[in-house]
Amino acid sequence: MPKIGITTTVPLEIILAAGYAPVDLNNLFMSRDSLHLVHQAEIQGFPRNLCAWIKGIYSVALQEGISQMVAVTQGDCSNTQALIEMLSLEGVRVIPFAYPYDRDEELLRLQMERFLKSLGCSWESALAMKERLDAIRLKVHRIDRMTWDEGVVSGFENHYYQVSCSDMQGDPESFEAQVDQFLDEICTRERMPEKIRLGFIGVPPIFTDLYSLVESLEGRIVFNEVQRQFSMPACGQGEDLVEQYRRYTYPYDVFARIADIREQLAVRRIDGLIHYVQSFCFHRLEDLIVRKSINLPVLTLEGDNPGRIDARTRIRIESFLQVLKERKGA
Amino acid sequence: MEAHELVWGMDLGSREVKIVLLENGDIRQMESHETIAFYRACRQVDPGKLRIMDETIGPAQNPCYPVVTTGYGRNSLTFENSHQIPEIMAHALGARYLTGLSDFLLVDIGGQDSKVVLVENGKVVDFIMNDKCAASSGRYLENMARVLGFSVEELGRYYRDPVELDSTCAIFGESELIGKLVEGVPLPSLCAGVNFSVFRRIAPMLSRFSSEIVVLSGGVSRNEAIQHIIRENCKPRQVLVLPHGQFAGAIGCAHWYTHRV
Repeated sequence: MPKIGITTTVPLEIILAAGYAPVDLNNLFMSRDSLHLVHQAEIQGFPRNLCAWIKGIYSVALQEGISQMVAVTQGDCSNTQALIEMLSLEGVRVIPFAYPYDRDEELLRLQMERFLKSLGCSWESALAMKERLDAIRLKVHRIDRMTWDEGVVSGFENHYYQVSCSDMQGDPESFEAQVDQFLDEICTRERMPEKIRLGFIGVPPIFTDLYSLVESLEGRIVFNEVQRQFSMPACGQGEDLVEQYRRYTYPYDVFARIADIREQLAVRRIDGLIHYVQSFCFHRLEDLIVRKSINLPVLTLEGDNPGRIDARTRIRIESFLQVLKERKGA
Repeated sequence: MEAHELVWGMDLGSREVKIVLLENGDIRQMESHETIAFYRACRQVDPGKLRIMDETIGPAQNPCYPVVTTGYGRNSLTFENSHQIPEIMAHALGARYLTGLSDFLLVDIGGQDSKVVLVENGKVVDFIMNDKCAASSGRYLENMARVLGFSVEELGRYYRDPVELDSTCAIFGESELIGKLVEGVPLPSLCAGVNFSVFRRIAPMLSRFSSEIVVLSGGVSRNEAIQHIIRENCKPRQVLVLPHGQFAGAIGCAHWYTHRV
């Protein structure tokens, strides 16, 4: 199947129903020699003070010979828009898509219709694909539940399956087989020990060892906010495709995200929150809103380049877990 | 507590290594070493592990006493009877020991990190640390003092008529300062501007928490101008400057051992 690169979650159903394989370039970037990819873009002239995801995606798209990409012109960042313009200079076909800021149903429907048309797909086949993907998503929701409720899934495993829902690894059948195998494996596991239950909010981390570090300090991340959104947590209730992507919180204003976060913090009995922000990202500013809206200790972590956690970030994580243990009397 | 209990506390910071020896909770010895010189006095034994080979340095004199470490290098030193504790905990314990208080807001400005820690009923309830930039830290003050040809102590005496400095970057602040020198701004105003820019970086962290008492620690707490600026801007809160404030983390380490459960 020909590939279509994506940089954030877009209606996956339409890409797959049109006979293309979606490739989330964020995931691809993290599965390669990520730091090298960032350096390659810097050699091409990408500034040092620019988000590393943008640089990594640029290099990995060229390296993998991605010839078409969805450009999310609203609902993601302006750096992504410029990145795709850079790639179009290299001959990449650009398919625009925009999430309306106020989640206007008509505007979103119009965007989807244009998206269907540009890929030569019908509503019927896209809806049939939604039904197929929802069946897989519901299995991933079970993995999520087995993370926070039954305590048999590690923070990283949870992150991995949720984040993979953004493109179903380009092949829903083999992804589903992987999910099935994992569900079989975990049903015999014992509950994992934990003293502190953490939530992780913000874009997925660029650090490679955050989850294992937290677990080595007797904490466990039992809520991955944006990754969970990739699995469309509110799907499978008879909603149509437009409504599904209106419920998806990430591309709209921060307040819908906050409402979702607050609800999950209570349900999952979270002791403290890690707010991850990427260096040079506009989401950094939303930290102020998060802190004003959430009545739990919040640790803001800033990541720049891909790789293991640096000493200064480690000091902050250790201290945060220590404070939470004292608060909890653990 | 056992009779004549002796404990080493070490804060292995980014600019200085601070070492104290506590005997039955009283300070018996305090020393500080420049970080790089300290690590040079250690010999690499195994990859990632260091042993102090210079016998004039703290725990090497009496290696049989327990050692508690914190700071960036806390995991790298090898001792028979050693413990590591998180940095925020060490500083909060040190401040409690040095003030006898249970409720306060600790403002620690160190070599490259600044932290504001809220302590209630003797426990840390929340904290915030500076972002990735080393501005508003001791390193920035050292750089600026060097550019102006002052010692750090001299720089720390000026707070009147501060010149407006836009960049508090520990590196790029240098060219801005030279620009102001060329414009003919008097040196005392430049020094005051440098000190004021440290406060401006700390102020948003301070405003996040309310506490009647603000306790200053860390090497930068010795800067008299910054003490003055914080006092002027923290009214009506009471501002205390810790004696031996740069040793608060090391003292907290030893104190932790003495009072561990």
